[in-house]
Amino acid sequence: MAKLTIEHVARIEGHGNITVDVADGVVRDIRMDIVEPARFFESMVVGRRFDDAPLITSRICGICSPNHVLTSIKALEVALGVEVSDRTRLLRKLLVYGSYLQNHATHLYILAAPDYVGLPNVFPLADSHPDIVERALRLKKLGNDLTTLVGGRPVHPVTAVIGGFTSEPEAEALQGYRDLLLGVAQDALATVELFASFPVPDFRTAGEMLALTAGDDYAIYDGDTAALEAGWRRPCGEYREFIGETVVGHSNAKHSTVGGRPFLVGSVARANINADKLNDAGRAAMAKSGLTLPTRNPFHMNVLQAVELADASARCAGYIERLLDMGGSSIPEPFRIRAGEGGSATEAPRGTLYHSYAVDDDGIVTRGDVITPTAQNLANIEADMRAFAPTIADRSTEVFTLLVEELVRSYDPCLSCAVH
Amino acid sequence: MAPRLVVLSLASDFGCQVQLTNMTDELLDVLGLVELSYWQLATSGHMPADYDVAIVEGAVTTAEHVELLASVREKAAVVIAMGACANIGGIPGIVGRSDLEGRYALVYGSGPAVAEGRRAPLPIDSVITVDYHVPGCPIDTAEFLRVLSHVLLGLSDRVPDMAMCASCKTNETVCFFDRGQLCLGLVTRAGCGARCTSLGRACTGCRGIAPDANLASAREIAARAGVRAGDLDDALRVYNAMTEVHA
Repeated sequence: MAKLTIEHVARIEGHGNITVDVADGVVRDIRMDIVEPARFFESMVVGRRFDDAPLITSRICGICSPNHVLTSIKALEVALGVEVSDRTRLLRKLLVYGSYLQNHATHLYILAAPDYVGLPNVFPLADSHPDIVERALRLKKLGNDLTTLVGGRPVHPVTAVIGGFTSEPEAEALQGYRDLLLGVAQDALATVELFASFPVPDFRTAGEMLALTAGDDYAIYDGDTAALEAGWRRPCGEYREFIGETVVGHSNAKHSTVGGRPFLVGSVARANINADKLNDAGRAAMAKSGLTLPTRNPFHMNVLQAVELADASARCAGYIERLLDMGGSSIPEPFRIRAGEGGSATEAPRGTLYHSYAVDDDGIVTRGDVITPTAQNLANIEADMRAFAPTIADRSTEVFTLLVEELVRSYDPCLSCAVH
Repeated sequence: MAPRLVVLSLASDFGCQVQLTNMTDELLDVLGLVELSYWQLATSGHMPADYDVAIVEGAVTTAEHVELLASVREKAAVVIAMGACANIGGIPGIVGRSDLEGRYALVYGSGPAVAEGRRAPLPIDSVITVDYHVPGCPIDTAEFLRVLSHVLLGLSDRVPDMAMCASCKTNETVCFFDRGQLCLGLVTRAGCGARCTSLGRACTGCRGIAPDANLASAREIAARAGVRAGDLDDALRVYNAMTEVHA
């Protein structure tokens, strides 16, 4: 093995190549080239009305579009001084969690699992292990259906707007989903067991870890950004002050650092920072996973996403009970358009997503800025690959390639998001 | 022999491919009817030398995309354009034909961004002939299945030519213009069942301008409803920036 290039890495969202330069068993260079062409989303919103921004920036990513829509809406609500009701906040959390169920099921079963069972894709399992494929599709379908219930469709939801929702699910439908969510508890636990049973390399990332943290909730919709090692908490809207972005020559995705260091976002960071916020179902799932937190192993992203499935399904059932009980309205209240600036964040399935905007007196966007989870993870993924590759340099090319791909896929990367 | 199928993506957000994976009730049946030869999102493996049906998502934004499409057209008996980006340029089309340098500067500063072979974002039929169309942002999976069944049965492409308003009439949705609000359903290609308007959101035109659309008349209707002059054309520049709009 001298120079190895893995082109268009399979089973990840977007286009990326991995290049490894190895001489005499020593890895001289390893990097991830994001070959997505530049997409210019931050420039597309400039000059357009503020309410076009959530629709446009949602198209950064088809897999975590509910997060893009809501992060964009929340940032604009900060800029315009728009308040929303508790009912709206709960419905928005359901929308994010619908995306979690859908995304985590897709990532775990369709994208990641084939690595651990020696298959090119998940489809042959439909014959050999129909129970596993049926479970995967049940979880994915429930996520899609929940997103559709609240947002109108699974990809690029339509009902969420600045100030609230244009349409709300009927109480009867909500009640039905409460039961369905409680009904997938066993599926979620079985997913934890499955991924806990897959052996993963014993590897520690050197990066810092960031995630949202808030009150007594497992933060996914709001809160402050917390740094695991440095120990600080800062308002997420100020992200441009603590996350540095640099343009790199080999990719149209920028790299991010915090305090000059690469860092990791996603399920490992969330679970490490918010372990004490997991609900009973999440704690039971943690116990089944056999992991102790904190963990520094990025390969644990998979099993911790499975733990989040268990936590999320029970949590959403609770949100629905509150929605059925609380009354109130999610209809947007009229607001005055004014000049302002604002930033916000949500936890997308693969990590924290930040948006910020400036608008003028006429509501025209004058600046837009987005930092996606994968853009934040890229520097850390490359640092991990550099540290990990020499430890497996003696393996066959086939095994080496698979292990490097497994590492990258653990991050659940979204390369179209990374280049936005 | 089952047709050999490849799924490819150009400049896109993968949303339409995600919609394919979202066909949780039908995906395995569909895969039983075709031989899946390449799909980077869902399976390991390399692009094969030969195949019969190519599903293409995304807009053309680089010279590499143009080369890829030329090769696809040479090999595939059937090319399906999937989603707004592939059919009309869609959201990537907002970038337009001019001032790419300004956009690079705004997003990447003076940094060394990768600009090789960059070109104005266009739908794939600007480069090759397309046999079947599944519009929308994202695609509707029921419509995709209908088109795919047409492909497999050798039936012709039947994307609707009429405007969305007919669907709202069927759904008994109150017209946005009656509330003084702009809606692009007047000029947008029907076929999605008018999902957005039935959920309280005006049509944003993601399925492209209908061949039957009367833009001059639409502007008059907008003006009568009290919509600001120019707003209709401005709204069309979200999804349809790369479509010639006649006065």
